[in-house]
Amino acid sequence: MTQAIRNYCLFLWRCARIAFVGDWRYYAWMGALSVLCLLGLNAYCKQFAHGLIVTGMSDEVSWGVYIANFTFLVGVAAAAVMLVIPVYIYNNHELHDLVIFGELLAVAAILMCLAFVTVDLGRPDRFWHLIPGLGQFNFPASMLSWDVVVLNGYLLLNVHICGYLLYCRYRNRKPAKWFYIPFVFIAIVWAVSIHTVTAFLYVGLGGRPFWNSSIVGPRFLASAFTAGPALIILAMQVVRRVTASPPGVDVAGVALDGAVPASLVHFEMLERHLPEMASVPAELRSEILAGATVLEGNAGDVVCRQGESSDEAYFVLQGRVVIKREESGRFRITRSSGPGEQFGEISGLAGTPRVASAIVEEPSLILRLNAESMRKLMKPAPMNRIIHSRMTERLMITDRALMTLRGIVQVSMLINVFLLVNEIFKEFYTRTAHVASSHYLLLGLHGHHALVPWIWTAIAFNLIAMFLLVLPVSRSLKYLNVACVLAIVGIWIEKGMGLVIPGFIPTPLGAISEYSPSLNETLVCLGIWAFGLLCYTIFLRMAVPILQGRLSHANEQALYPAQAPVAEPAMAKT
Amino acid sequence: MNNQTRTNQVLLLASLAFLALAAGFHFNLWGRPAPRPDIPLVDPMFTSNTTWRTSYAELIRAKADLSDFDCYACHERHKPPPMHFDTNNILIVPKEHSDIVMHHGTHNRNNLCFNCHDENNLELFQTRDGRQLKLSESTPLCGSCHGPTYRDWEAGAHGRTSGYWNRDLGPITRLDCVSCHNPHSPKNFSRPPAPGPHPLRPVRTIAAEHHNPV
Amino acid sequence: MSCNCNSNKPGCCHSSEQGVSRRNFLRTSAVLASGLAALAASLSPLMEMEDVPSAEKFLQKYYKELTPEEMAKVLKRIENEVERQYGIRPHVRDLKPMDGVEFVYCLNLTRCIGCRKCVHACVKENNQSRNPEIQYIRVLKMPHGTFDMEKGDHNYAPESVPEKGFFYMPVQCQQCKNPPCVKVCPVHATWTDSDGITVIDYDWCIGCRYCEAACPYWARHFNFTKPNIPKDKLNPEMAYLGNRPRRQGVMEKCHFCVQRTRAGKYPACLEVCPVGARKFGNILDPNSEVSYILRTKRVFMQLKEELGTSPRFFYYFDV
Repeated sequence: MTQAIRNYCLFLWRCARIAFVGDWRYYAWMGALSVLCLLGLNAYCKQFAHGLIVTGMSDEVSWGVYIANFTFLVGVAAAAVMLVIPVYIYNNHELHDLVIFGELLAVAAILMCLAFVTVDLGRPDRFWHLIPGLGQFNFPASMLSWDVVVLNGYLLLNVHICGYLLYCRYRNRKPAKWFYIPFVFIAIVWAVSIHTVTAFLYVGLGGRPFWNSSIVGPRFLASAFTAGPALIILAMQVVRRVTASPPGVDVAGVALDGAVPASLVHFEMLERHLPEMASVPAELRSEILAGATVLEGNAGDVVCRQGESSDEAYFVLQGRVVIKREESGRFRITRSSGPGEQFGEISGLAGTPRVASAIVEEPSLILRLNAESMRKLMKPAPMNRIIHSRMTERLMITDRALMTLRGIVQVSMLINVFLLVNEIFKEFYTRTAHVASSHYLLLGLHGHHALVPWIWTAIAFNLIAMFLLVLPVSRSLKYLNVACVLAIVGIWIEKGMGLVIPGFIPTPLGAISEYSPSLNETLVCLGIWAFGLLCYTIFLRMAVPILQGRLSHANEQALYPAQAPVAEPAMAKT
Repeated sequence: MNNQTRTNQVLLLASLAFLALAAGFHFNLWGRPAPRPDIPLVDPMFTSNTTWRTSYAELIRAKADLSDFDCYACHERHKPPPMHFDTNNILIVPKEHSDIVMHHGTHNRNNLCFNCHDENNLELFQTRDGRQLKLSESTPLCGSCHGPTYRDWEAGAHGRTSGYWNRDLGPITRLDCVSCHNPHSPKNFSRPPAPGPHPLRPVRTIAAEHHNPV
Repeated sequence: MSCNCNSNKPGCCHSSEQGVSRRNFLRTSAVLASGLAALAASLSPLMEMEDVPSAEKFLQKYYKELTPEEMAKVLKRIENEVERQYGIRPHVRDLKPMDGVEFVYCLNLTRCIGCRKCVHACVKENNQSRNPEIQYIRVLKMPHGTFDMEKGDHNYAPESVPEKGFFYMPVQCQQCKNPPCVKVCPVHATWTDSDGITVIDYDWCIGCRYCEAACPYWARHFNFTKPNIPKDKLNPEMAYLGNRPRRQGVMEKCHFCVQRTRAGKYPACLEVCPVGARKFGNILDPNSEVSYILRTKRVFMQLKEELGTSPRFFYYFDV
């Protein structure tokens, strides 16, 4: 038990350590985010001392850009589920590797949401009044109390799922299904609920006809499932790019050859790192030996190349082999295999072309099995299980996965625009007294039109994004990225400021007071966004090496990625 | 090598940025709350509970100078004062009473002094049904014509009240009609309004733009 | 330094390992120190805080959970605080609703002349902030022939009122029977008492302004900064749920002057009304003015009746 706790603490420690290590680009990015965070913190301290008067809010428009961002980010958080559903319900393997990134994005988004709600409070020192048991929690009457429950619940669910899966990957263990699958399904329902509840926050207010419309909930979901996956498409490409190395460089090495026949000693070496080998009986071992050879390689040697056809699978006995995959003209490290770990087994067993190249990273000893021997090795149930479970352990962000996300964004955007049209029709065709807010938003009201350029920009962005997404042109990543950026910005305006502010204009007593965020308020928002990005960057910084197999329990010295050769000085001392 | 120098440069830059920020924060260079424009305190007359007028009864209670009500300082006893009318049959208010504006009711039907005052005893009122009332008891006089309003007044639904809604805890203060209404021109309530709101941020109303375009 | 470290394998860069680690250490310290300096400086606005909550205030219990002894202590503390700040010893009471009492307000739109005296009497009585200005009553100048509040003017400033062709409609908290503000408050900081008054525990409100968004009457007002009341304008007769000075970041609204009405008196806006347009009383008492009005006056309305808030505030005409 204590050993388990020690291991877990070590895991946390190593994760924390790696967050401080990176190349100059990493430092520049983190430094810039820290500067923005500090600016935001300072602006918030001013607000804390002087009150919300330093914002642009007033009794007339009593919620502003804080709540607008909150609403948008709840959607982003909820959208992580759009990765989980295909993987866990429809068994989509393409998206499998992206699930953790989606959930980490959800965690970062929820942290931002909580920050945005907190800065919006007039008396943040009284937050404890919200804690059930300690304070007075108006549950279930107040939708805000629902929001507190669902947001924190969603945060915990995602932290648990991500944390558990990453820890298992770090320990090279197969995750126990009962320990995360139920939570995955709860999280699916929960994700829908966080956004519905946030919509109900507005819908439940009868005195604000602009919000008191039953279509707001579905609109929220549609826009969330557009903006969220769009954000993931962009983030995943950044991850891919950062973990990539220039093409051609790595596979330039000498093809590894000069295999010698393997002996039982090599099986014993393997058993040391792969205890399941014990289930392979002696007679089977000698049978396997017939198709087994051993390769000895130095750094830079190429074990196998992407695109080649071969029926061989490999086990690392000693040293380290990195698996790289070329896509869109760049190489991505999908996996780094250490002693006891296999590679090349999928194409080896199927006899299909290799999907990635394997390059020796440090002097290694590699066991090579032909397909027949590999199948024999997998006969004993424990071996079969471990090898199968490891087949999925890689980090592969494929273009096909991004295209699957494109499909989601495409459909959601169509629904989103359709629902918007519904709302506009209802308001402007009937033209009841309640049209005033929509009129203010879209056309201006009595000479007040602060939001008009914004909302039309948003609508234009949404429409362009919709057409780009629907047309085959967005199968090219370049156009897909443009569409995603337009969709994100469009939705950020439309369901942020475009939803929150018109609800207050005109006031219930018919007065018009326009709102624009103050400098201080803007700095706080920037600070929170920077904080969220900082969190997400740190999460990725931890998750990527774990998913690649570089940061693992077995790998005593956590290796830093190839393009990040700098050892953290403070850590170097310890 | 290259990476090392780049990292050093970046970290140096980050340190400088942090120091610049620290200085900016320390000297509070931006984001200070703007000074709020002065809002003049409201004139105490707008928060005062005093009535616009003072009834005769209140003057008596206040032991005020009542010489103004000494009718027979000028008028002659037992001799009803004469009334003069212009060509439109409208009462000409004598210059001694120029402070009185006769505007009680419509169509001039009530612009006769002796609809209320007793012409034989100017220190009394007389109702239409011939009862005589003291000057300090004007309210029943008003009630003799304004029945529904008098009923409302009796129920507390018409006119000002103050004091206690809960009569077990204290008295309610009622006012006479003439504490608010000028009996000669009872409907004139025209007054300057108290200052309007000073909202935190600029506010306009649709009506304001329609009626007094800025 | 010519070695391109692809990993931190021991032995790599050994030639200048010491120099590098010394330089690295300096580098880290510089970033750390400047970062910490910026962090510390970023917190400096907190030094300007005038109203730092004491531990006692921070931990103060919810109104409904305070025992009578604790309440006595809290009231004493409030009196001390007010005295320290304003130089006047106030009389702060915790007034409970009376049995058999449900308050109703009736406002006679025929009589109201739009003089706004109620607005300012209320400010004076209830110790509202003068700058920034918080007012519980907003008077709308409405053109004859409509109840569309968007046609109302809040800022009218003619030489004299009433103006021809308009009527005036003061709006304040309607003390709803089905109050949206109470429903949405996440911390029960606002509730409706048995006498029908919706009150706020100013020491419990977290300032989320959800109630302000929920209120269809724009009756709730927020202390965007520290309230500002001239010392000589403070009304020392106070109630816990009523007119005691509020703090920055909390909500406030009309509470039918609980410091007066729960002591049996009329609210301040009623007493100051020069035309007697405002009527207040116990609807459960058939002899009260409000019972009489609702019984006999044929035309009366609740504002935004269609929202189902069921206000205890009635507008009527009597001519």
